[in-house]
Amino acid sequence: MQNSPSHTNAPYTLLPEDPSPARPPASSRRPVKVFAATAASVVFLTSLVMLIVNQSPETPTESDHPPRSDPSVRDRLSYNWTNAMFAWQRTAFHFQPEKNWMNDPDGPLYYMGWYHLFYQYNPDSAVWGNITWGHAVSKDLIHWLYLPLAMVPDRWFDAGGVWTGSATLLPDGRIVILYTGDTDESIQVQNLAYPANLSDPLLIEWVKYPDNPVIVPPAGINPEEFRDPTTAWMGPDGTWRILVGSKVDGSGIALIYQTSNFTAFEAQPGLLHAVNGTGMWECVDFYPVSTNSSNGLETSVVGPGVKHVLKASLDDLKKDYYAIGTYDPVSDTWTPDDPEADVGMGLQVDYGRYYASKTFFDQNTGRRILWGWINETDTDYDDLAKGWASVQTIPRVVTFDNKTGSNILEWPVEEVESLRLNSTEFDDILVEAGSAVLLDIGMATQLDISVEFEIEGSDALEALEEPEAIIECATAQNRTTLGPFGLLVLADKSLSELTPIYFHIAKSTNGSLTTLFCADETRSSKALEVFKKVYGGPVAVLDDEKFTMRLLVDHSIIESFAQGGRTVITSRIYPTEAIYGAAKLFLFNNATGVNVTASLEIWQMNSAFIRPFPLEEM
Amino acid sequence: MKALVCFLLLLLLLLATLPSPTRSFEFPAREMADLIDQTCRLTPFYDLCISSLRSDPGSGAADVRGLARIMAGSVLASASRTLDRIQELLGQAPDPETERPLAYCAELYIPVVKYTLPQAIEALGKGQLGFAVYGLSDAGKEAQACEKNFSGLSWSPVTDVNEQVRDLVDVALAIIKILQRSF
Repeated sequence: MQNSPSHTNAPYTLLPEDPSPARPPASSRRPVKVFAATAASVVFLTSLVMLIVNQSPETPTESDHPPRSDPSVRDRLSYNWTNAMFAWQRTAFHFQPEKNWMNDPDGPLYYMGWYHLFYQYNPDSAVWGNITWGHAVSKDLIHWLYLPLAMVPDRWFDAGGVWTGSATLLPDGRIVILYTGDTDESIQVQNLAYPANLSDPLLIEWVKYPDNPVIVPPAGINPEEFRDPTTAWMGPDGTWRILVGSKVDGSGIALIYQTSNFTAFEAQPGLLHAVNGTGMWECVDFYPVSTNSSNGLETSVVGPGVKHVLKASLDDLKKDYYAIGTYDPVSDTWTPDDPEADVGMGLQVDYGRYYASKTFFDQNTGRRILWGWINETDTDYDDLAKGWASVQTIPRVVTFDNKTGSNILEWPVEEVESLRLNSTEFDDILVEAGSAVLLDIGMATQLDISVEFEIEGSDALEALEEPEAIIECATAQNRTTLGPFGLLVLADKSLSELTPIYFHIAKSTNGSLTTLFCADETRSSKALEVFKKVYGGPVAVLDDEKFTMRLLVDHSIIESFAQGGRTVITSRIYPTEAIYGAAKLFLFNNATGVNVTASLEIWQMNSAFIRPFPLEEM
Repeated sequence: MKALVCFLLLLLLLLATLPSPTRSFEFPAREMADLIDQTCRLTPFYDLCISSLRSDPGSGAADVRGLARIMAGSVLASASRTLDRIQELLGQAPDPETERPLAYCAELYIPVVKYTLPQAIEALGKGQLGFAVYGLSDAGKEAQACEKNFSGLSWSPVTDVNEQVRDLVDVALAIIKILQRSF
């Protein structure tokens, strides 16, 4: 609280006897947009809030599997949720059905002016089961309108569930969907479906090919480990190829099937790729990216300046992994650029609560767009009580990062910016070591935040002598010289509940600096049954770059993007106190050795008003 | 005597109900003109509505649903002209400051002209008013987004055409509201 020399640049300090703030800080610019009422007032809290307060008990160490194993214990522990708390959890601008269970996104496509999203959906309950294909359309990937169910499990070849699948747009304008059917004998087969009426832009009615299945599990493959056919791509011989994920001897594999008409398929003798020890590969995705432009590429493109991304959802870990490599269309094989970071061993699509992602080529705007399913981290019991479970991410544009040359970039589609209302700007806020700064922006539950951090004095980085090797994200209370620093999201004023999203820089034993990007959910909610852990991964910060973050905050979901989308973390948060008007946003710096300055632009976000399609007729 | 009076009264009644040949020509024409007039009075841009509808030869014999379809057609024509103008301006190799928002506008208008408005017109024909309203509103939104994208510049080469699209959309939506109210 004392004014030390390092604080003379600070606009003012809130003294304990003085309840009203002094004049607003000079460094904070007036808000750009009209409505920001209390823009310039910023309150400094110089107490070491991170160390002092630890309200909620440490959650027991959990595996990365969601807490389904001991429902009775969890039920006893279930928080006394009120309807208002549950209602708050529903998102305002992320896609989710009106009620009940959703999982994998399916068959995304653009057709006759409409974006289509299908999704694994249980029309009867808020837990998985009786899986159908839900259907929604949008003109802009943000404002979705619900349509009737596209497919239900009404044939022997999908009686156990209409599972995940992909769409292929053929050059002659036809659409084919291949999906996994769980048969009436629990065998996983691949089925063909197509629109009943291609002149219906809403593609409401679908027809299942009468002679389904078109692919059955081959010899040597477990019939319960054979699913999720991909979008097809055309080979040099003019025929189509698709992949189906599976597993052999603990290795995740991508099986190749070839067809010219989508009704007769031939299994290829080889595999596109396999990786030892990665287990069953679900939701395989395979697509080209341009290495010399930011345009998306249609799925069949090959040639110079093109690399291919191979992605798999690892069943054992419930995480999405990918690698970039080279596809040889003649031998139908794919080789990773870095075998040490092969699929399942290196990069994750998203380091948070995220699974079953799938891309499609948007021929309307020439972008490669990525969908991802975000499960709940509360319990089945909670989901049944509140009547729904799961959301989809905001769709992301995928491009090749040609600054690093070794990863993709994911960024929310720019159409999400149409939801932006008023904004508040803050310039060069000083956040001293061991402090937090409340950002006065009004409501803090529907936000689009862009923030840039600079560490005061680059000498601090060089002065770091002791290696503080941090291999993976730890809680934000783990203080080191250079971190963590970032934002506290969905935090109440007393910080009894808070979700730090932050950078953590450390010097490794070989002298180089590494940066981790993390989201710490361990103190996000007082509810004991919620699964709370620290998520995150490494992020490359190049020499000429500041530390940048973009966050989409939408009630119980936060999507966090570091360095323009090099590393992404999606979080599910269920506060009991930091909801509605009590939810606040802070900057924080829990480093011991450096101050940081932050500049931010924060937009309030409108609802997307996702609702049923107005199908009524005269 | 009484019978004669009754007969004369009946005759009078009969004569009174006989239609006059000249009047049967007048009534239909005046009623149809009134419909366009009546309809346009309920829209936010009366003059624009009148001129758009009357310029279509079929408007004279159309009912309100028909007028809605004609107006939606006018929106499509206006949007197509706007897209043509944008592409013409792009073809003249403008400076980068103007080129970027123009290219953005083209991207917005292309699906509107190619899909959104034709689908809205078809939906009106099938009585799918909700679908038509959504499509027309979307066209108006895209015109607005196109205009907004020029906010950095001191003037926009497409303000007048964008505004016409939006005004026509508002007229079309108002006519459809009349339809929705009557069911």
